[in-house]
Amino acid sequence: MSAATPIKLEVPTDFGCTEEHALLRAEARRFLSERLPIAELRKLADAGVGFDRALWKELAQLGWLGLVLPEAAGGAGLGWLHLEIVMEEMGRRLVPGPFLASLLAGVAIAEGGSDAQRERFLPAIASGDLVATIALCEAGGVFEADGVSATAEAVGGGFLLRGHKTHVICGTDAGLVVAPFREPSGRIALFAVEVPAKGVSVEAEVCIDPTRPTARIGFDGVRVTAQACLDGDGAAAWHAMLVRGFAALAAEQVGGAESVLLTTRDYAVARKQFDRQIGFFQAVKHPIVDMMCGIEMARSLATGAAAALDANSAGAETLARMAKSLVSDVYCNAVRKGVQLHGGYGFTWDCDVHFYFRRAMWSRSMLGDGIHHRRWLAERLFEA
Amino acid sequence: MSVRPDETESKENAEFRREARAWIAANKPAHPGFKLPQSFLEVESERQFEFLRDWQRKVFDAGYLGLDWPAEYGGKGDPLKRQRIVSQELNRAGAPFLVNVIGLQWAGPTILAVGNEEQKKRYLKPILSAEEIWCQGFSEPGAGSDLASLTSVAEPTDGGWLVSGHKVWTTLAHFAKWMILLARTDQVHDSEGQSLRDLRAHKYAGISYFLFPMDAPNVTVQPLVKMSGEGGFNQVIFDKAPMPKSALLGQLGQGWQIAMTTLTFERGAAEGTGGGQSTPADSSARAVARLAARVRREGHPAAGDAVIRDRAAQLWIEEEALRLTGQRARIDALNMDDRPLATRLMNKLVYSELAQRLAEFACEVLGPDATLWVGDPQAPDKAEWPRAYMNSFGVTIGGGTSEVQRNIIGERVLGLPKSK
Repeated sequence: MSAATPIKLEVPTDFGCTEEHALLRAEARRFLSERLPIAELRKLADAGVGFDRALWKELAQLGWLGLVLPEAAGGAGLGWLHLEIVMEEMGRRLVPGPFLASLLAGVAIAEGGSDAQRERFLPAIASGDLVATIALCEAGGVFEADGVSATAEAVGGGFLLRGHKTHVICGTDAGLVVAPFREPSGRIALFAVEVPAKGVSVEAEVCIDPTRPTARIGFDGVRVTAQACLDGDGAAAWHAMLVRGFAALAAEQVGGAESVLLTTRDYAVARKQFDRQIGFFQAVKHPIVDMMCGIEMARSLATGAAAALDANSAGAETLARMAKSLVSDVYCNAVRKGVQLHGGYGFTWDCDVHFYFRRAMWSRSMLGDGIHHRRWLAERLFEA
Repeated sequence: MSVRPDETESKENAEFRREARAWIAANKPAHPGFKLPQSFLEVESERQFEFLRDWQRKVFDAGYLGLDWPAEYGGKGDPLKRQRIVSQELNRAGAPFLVNVIGLQWAGPTILAVGNEEQKKRYLKPILSAEEIWCQGFSEPGAGSDLASLTSVAEPTDGGWLVSGHKVWTTLAHFAKWMILLARTDQVHDSEGQSLRDLRAHKYAGISYFLFPMDAPNVTVQPLVKMSGEGGFNQVIFDKAPMPKSALLGQLGQGWQIAMTTLTFERGAAEGTGGGQSTPADSSARAVARLAARVRREGHPAAGDAVIRDRAAQLWIEEEALRLTGQRARIDALNMDDRPLATRLMNKLVYSELAQRLAEFACEVLGPDATLWVGDPQAPDKAEWPRAYMNSFGVTIGGGTSEVQRNIIGERVLGLPKSK
């Protein structure tokens, strides 16, 4: 990844956008506004339900759980711009559950699995019958393939897995965990481990975002069959999955930030102090405008990254990292200002902004924050 | 901020882009050996002006200007509206800017939008050929962000109008043949000497928009010196300066609305200009990265400094985000349905502030040598960067300050309460 790559960030002039994309957005917005108004989300959060099986089944029926998975494997075979739109709309409503994790597990299997492995797992993921998650992190802030230290050792026609994974989305609900392990040769291999299994310990973490519960998963000498090891180049598949994850999570963050913008705007119009709507004051108005400009900039990168993935453009990874970096900061800025501009009310549990605040904090730290991605981007910028 | 051809560009457009690129490469003038202005805001000397005017004329003669304007007014009437492609290629090639910016990008499109047939036939072609340069008479000493409080007056006479007043920040006035001029026409019965400021009821309705001939008598153009020490803009004083009846653009009292049309073009929020680059070619994150590769700090290459790398990457991200925002602005389905104009109206604000941060960052990267000013033989890049930083305020202030832009976006796009 350190070779001097010519920087090419072409995105198709029209972003590959068609009438179909507009219809999908309208459908997603309608469904989610009816199905998951913020009051409903609040009920789930208060009840500690981070994974709602009924909702999960509905997402499957909409075709979203297999949106970008190949048609041959029960997916819809649609593109990343479709996914960008769905993620943005889900981000607006803070859809709880493991959508992102399930998406990435499916992508990893689609990228790195054999035909038999795809057939075994992907249709079940798309139908919602199998809840799949991805073990993204290890201790030490590791999530890119280079730093993986969990090990896989070949024994008796199968493998022995050892190591600890952290921040696994809906780890306590999942029936399948996809994770990278390092073989003695140093090579990275991806494993699809069905759980529960002997030697696999799953412990819920207390996560800042109640709509996105996470778990620590220990692999303490877990025996798996050879079929659990994905056939392809594990490092390449992991990398391809991560790039799509940057773009997908960035899109969801854009949607979340958009909600905070609208909520804050509405409050600035409704709330009166000094006999005026507070949005009259430039100390309130201007930060809201800056919030919007940041969101529009981030949306352009998220959309551009998706379009570049659809076009197989060489610049897709660069754009996906740019999107994840910028929107992580933009979303966190939006919730910071969002709480502040709601005043005393913004500081309460009753005000909805804190749900977004939590999601923004979670999302910035996962799949690389600005600091992480800018280091990678600087390598390209300074070599060009 | 260059845009390269991509696989989705139509065959004819890609072919046209290749031709334009080849023509620019073959015809771009060599550096003349004397200091060139960084933008149209800093054209000081006759020789700078002539060099730039020759270049614009050459581009026009080759058929690369006015593509989007109708053929009957000197344009090309290109059905594919490909002026944008030429501008991108001029930018990409780092070609000198087209000097008649106010004509090409502000006055011309305004005349095209609201002018009568005679005006369109008279004014547009010499704008493209740079035969007639334009300047803008909007701001006054007492009317900046609150432009509608302007007090210059146009008094009707038998044959036309007499203008009295004081305009400031008048870029290119010293080379201009014409001025787009805002003046009050609501106080014409004010024979009692009543204060013009009392006519608040007519604040907006009392303004008219004129095309004023700068060679008229009783007009004084005085240079103003900018914070950078450079000239290029002026103040213009009118003392009963005459203009003909036909100088009125649009209807009497319609000046404010027409001025808003001009400002929409000026802020890069509308298409349909005569052509020319809107972004300088060499103020990009990449240029700063190249600079950092040459500069040493504490004996080490600045390009190895983690903080410098992080900040440069951030600027690169924002530059690309802005470029893609411009691209996305043209696709309805990718804009928010409750604020379709957001991506257009934010352009000037975001662009000008980003350019300013880039220039300031470059100065910081330079370390002690950032203090060397134009004329010092050791000044890195002939002090291009500190000069660019100072000049960047022309863009965050001119054409509506960043503060006013935030009001406009907050009120018109987000529906926040009006500040006035």
